[in-house]
Formats: sequence, structure tokens, C-alpha cells
Amino acid sequence: MTAEVAPPAPQPALTAAIELVNAARWYGNVVAVNDVSFALGPGVTGLLGPNGAGKTTLLHMLAGFLAPSAGTVRVLGRSPHRDPSVYRQIGLVPEREAVYSFLSGFEYVRFNARLQGLADSDAAARRAISLVGLDDAADRAIGTYSKGMRQRAKVAGALVHDPQVLLLDEPFNGMDPRQRLAMMDLLVQMADAGRTILFSSHILEEVERVGTEILVMVSGRLAASGDFRAIRALMTDRPHTISIRSSDDRRLATALMADPAVFAVELKDGSLAVQTAHLSTFRRLVAGVSRAAGVRLVEVVPADESLESVFDYLVRR
Amino acid sequence: MRGSAVSSFVAVREISGVTLRQLLGRRRTILLVLLSLVPVLLATAFRASGEVDILRFTRIVFDGLYVAILLPLVAVLFGTGAFGAEIEDGTIIYLLAKPIPRAAVVLAKAASAATVAILLTVVSAGLSGVIELLPAGSDGEAATFAYIAAMALGSICYVALFLALSLFTRRALVIGIGYMLIWEGGLSSLLPGIANLSIRQYALGVADAFFQLHNDPARLSPGTAVTLAAILVVVALVVASWRLMRFELPGSSD
Repeated sequence: MTAEVAPPAPQPALTAAIELVNAARWYGNVVAVNDVSFALGPGVTGLLGPNGAGKTTLLHMLAGFLAPSAGTVRVLGRSPHRDPSVYRQIGLVPEREAVYSFLSGFEYVRFNARLQGLADSDAAARRAISLVGLDDAADRAIGTYSKGMRQRAKVAGALVHDPQVLLLDEPFNGMDPRQRLAMMDLLVQMADAGRTILFSSHILEEVERVGTEILVMVSGRLAASGDFRAIRALMTDRPHTISIRSSDDRRLATALMADPAVFAVELKDGSLAVQTAHLSTFRRLVAGVSRAAGVRLVEVVPADESLESVFDYLVRR
Repeated sequence: MRGSAVSSFVAVREISGVTLRQLLGRRRTILLVLLSLVPVLLATAFRASGEVDILRFTRIVFDGLYVAILLPLVAVLFGTGAFGAEIEDGTIIYLLAKPIPRAAVVLAKAASAATVAILLTVVSAGLSGVIELLPAGSDGEAATFAYIAAMALGSICYVALFLALSLFTRRALVIGIGYMLIWEGGLSSLLPGIANLSIRQYALGVADAFFQLHNDPARLSPGTAVTLAAILVVVALVVASWRLMRFELPGSSD
């Protein structure tokens, strides 16, 4: 991913590239997005929330695929709904994995370029492919791609026309850590070039690296918005539960209880449920304690690290 | 780098190319090709028996197999599949998120599906006619040509109607088969007034321009059949474009 991101085409002065005012969307009796208001300018913003929080619905409203049931949604100063011309300035990476599997990566990106009316679609496609680091696989059918490569092809297709606004729904799904970092850097680079980028995620660490500004959605509502570090700070003192499987759970439980960072240990369903105040401290601690106790760790996973529990905690505060 | 406007011609060409590859790459298409060979085999059997009876052959093979079964089945499957599969797997989002007129998307999809349906039905009907009816001289040629025209017109009508329907319901294929069996197979044969609303009768009507079918004239004159077919196609494509503009993506419950 060495190619440079070009500066965007000059835009009329706008107060916000994306603006929602009391926007809501419901399906029958089910409220997917409820009274959400925010405005975003150039930069990367993470849309964070657990599955079912309303992130995709919100992104689809911004992309013009869903009309708000109430309130207003504006992108670059106009309603995106039923206005195909708005897609000249919007790039969209949907969450669903399906891409035209019979096309090669290059053909797919060029298809997008041609439907965007780009004069030199081949050059634009090559440039976008290069930006996402897919050069070596560009001539292979997308059907042979890994999930991460497919994601990158989707991103290349979405940014081939240098959109002013980029909407990405769970863009890092399926990418390995190296690809993830490279894609995050690309988003930051694009934002630095003046674009407005909104991406959704249910993984805290993804947002932490890319977006300093975040929007947190819980159950269709905007539960928090602002600087990630401030919101992250609110989370640090909450209790975490870690699920551990090891070669000797009982011995490990005894060893862990001796450490003041551990609140409680419970043996259940063939694993240990450990409560701690500081996740990062505990991660360092558990390796040493298990080694000292002569216990082999099989699995260490945060049991409550779902955003649902994290943000339920935030909302309760 | 950007052109002044996305030409509808470019959009239709690009989307048609992708849609043709989609439709031709499906297992369903291979099955339909095999199915289209069944009447050809039957024509070969007729030919092997040494019998050349234009009226009997058209009644059994052209009317009974092509017009009643193969044509609607092939055209309804391609018509509903042109958008159906993309709606199902979500790839339609790549077409909708483009600055192109929705009518261009509909036109490209309809043209691709109709092309494949026409190719399949016309080649099959043409082969059957050549095998069995060419020895019958000019009448045989006329009958073959009549049913080739019927296949082409019928394919376009079925594709347009069921492509539009597929944008309203995911059950378009079931409705299409119901329409084919109940409406056209039963009611339109029994109630002459329904002929005005039957694609099968439009197809038979246009065939009548080339060859007097059977001893009884078709229920619709060729002129009426073509006019009604044109109205149906235009209305279906306009409705489909209208619907696509208002199309809301399924699976947006998150």
C-alpha cells in the first residue's frame, strides 16, 4: 500500500459533510434507529456499537438506500435518498461479503470506475487496486480470494472515483492484522487528504487505532459521541470477565486468587471465569502466574468484551 | 479524471456484460439448456419415423412443449433471476450506489435476460423446425419461422413482466410458474377475453403473421398481439425503473 492518496476534488464550502437531525428509522414496530443527531466533517469517525445496534441501518440511510422515517439525513448538503447523482461523491463498502465472484479484482474495480463515468477507468482501477495492496492478485477471479482480499477489493471499488465521503460497514472483517493495519493507515491518509470517512465496527481496538472521534450506538440510539480516549477512559475502571481454559483450572484458580488484580474466580462449564479491574494488567499477569504454577494455558478470551456489555455499562453510568 | 456524465449507454453495456456472465454461469442455465434439447430430440424422433405432418407437429411440439412449457419456464427463470440473485446475495448494492439512471439498470438487466432466453428458445425451436419441418417445403419454413418469432416475442414479454415483479416480491418465480400454469394454461384457453392478458396468446398471435396456425386462427391478430406485447414491455420496464428508484435494501435491520 505505497500509492499516494490524491487530494479530493474541490468542494463547495460546507459546514458538515454528513448531517443527521433527529433521524429515525423503524420497520413496523421495530425501531432500528431512534432520534439520532450528529454532524461530521473531514476526518475518520468510528461508528461503534454491538450487533443489532442500528449501525448498518444508519449507514444505509446515509447512503440513500433507506429513507428516514423521521428527521433529516443530509450528505454534502442534500438528501441522498432517491438521488443517484449523489453517488459521484459517496463511496460505499457494504458489510455483506458477496462480490461478483466471476470477475477478477481488476475487472470488478474497473466496472465500478466505468459506472462512475471515469474517463480512464483502467488507470483509475489500477490506482485503487494499488492503494489497497491487491496488485499481485488483481487478475485472479474474486471467487478465489480470501475474505480479507475480498474486503480490500470492495474498498478499492468504493474509492476508485475518489469520493468525498466514504462509508464503510465493518470494513476490517476478515482481514489479517497486517492487512488491517494497512487499511487503517489508508483511511487515515484519505482523511488527512480532506475526506469524510465513517466506518462501523463492533471491535474497540479497530476504532482506537483509526478514529479519534467516535459515535457509539446502542439499541438504535446514539449513546455517546466524542473523542475515543475520553470514552475509553470511562471504561477502564469497569470490571472485566475473562474466560480461561487451561491444563489445570483448579490450580490456576488458586494461583490467580493470590493476586490483588483479581476480584473473583469461578469454575464453570469446564473453564475459569476470572473477574479483574484491569484487562491489560491481567493479560500480562496471567502468563507469569500460569507459568509459575506449572499450568498450560489453552485459551484466554474476554468473556464480556462484547460492545453490548461495554456500552450497557457506559449507558448505566 | 471523471467524464462529464455517466453515459447510459456505457452503464447498459457494462451491466449487461456482468449480467450475461452471471446468468450464463449458473447451474440453472445448464439445466435449461438440457431441457431445451428435449423437444429437439422429439423432433428427431418425428423425423426418424418418416412422418412430416406440419399441423400435428406444431400442435404437439411447438404448442405443447415450446409455447406452453419451455418458453415461459426459461423466460420466467431468467427474468426473475436477473435481479433476484443480486437482491438475494446483496450485490445489487454495487449497482444502486452508482450515479446512473435506474432505467439504465433495468434496461441492461432486461436486455441481458431476454437475450439469453431468446437464444435458448429460438435456437431450440429453430433446430426442431429444421429437423422436422424443412422437408415440408415453404409451409414448413413458414411454420418454423412463425414459432421462432413467437419465442422471441414471448421471451421479451415474460422477461419484462417477471423482472419487474422480482423487484416487488421474492416470490416472483412461484408467481410466474402459477401464472404459466393457471392463468395461461387454464383460464386463457377457456375464457377468450383473457387472451388480451396472456403472453402466450401474444406469442401465438405474432406467429400467426407468418403461418396460419392450425385451422383455427389465433385469438389475437398479429397487429393486436404486437401492440399489446409492446404496451406490456414498456409498462413493465417503467414500473421496474420506478420500483428500483424506491428500492430499499433488504437486511438493513442492524
